Amino acid sequence: MAKAEIRKPKPKSNPLKAADITVIDYKDTALLRKFISDRGKIRARRVTGVSVQEQRKIAQAIKNAREVALLPYSGAGRG
Amino acid sequence: MRAYELMVLIDPEVDDRTVEPTIEKYLEVVRSHGGTIDKVDVWGRRKMAYEIKKKAEATYIVVNYTADPATSAELERQLKINELILRHKVTRPEEARV
Repeated sequence: MAKAEIRKPKPKSNPLKAADITVIDYKDTALLRKFISDRGKIRARRVTGVSVQEQRKIAQAIKNAREVALLPYSGAGRG
Repeated sequence: MRAYELMVLIDPEVDDRTVEPTIEKYLEVVRSHGGTIDKVDVWGRRKMAYEIKKKAEATYIVVNYTADPATSAELERQLKINELILRHKVTRPEEARV
């Protein structure tokens, strides 16, 4: 019987390491925009490839940025 | 004393030259209570991601200051009263380290 093929997931490059980011700031919209979809939703960690801790900080930063209208709420308006 | 960062969104109808005097009034609240203003950064007019009070844009200002928590609360209370301030947000800057 053929052995079930084990799929090796391709390791994702951490976009934060690539951009040399040390502090996640809610004012840095250029960075945060990489982590939202074109509908304004926060991208899942399996898509972004960042660590759990980083994802949490990114999510919080995006939410802060939304409060001051730097980023759109998901689905709002023409989004 | 703690370090804070304040972001203020001012009504676009406020003239660019009167923006600084408007915000100065609030910085005085911090100073009079023994706090210090570390940095004031006027971003200028910027289109907002969604409308606030039917306005499409606002003047963004970021202020870094050091003050007691009670002073910060008083500052926020006063910011809330002003109709020309569309929105404000106070954060503690250092908490977001990766």
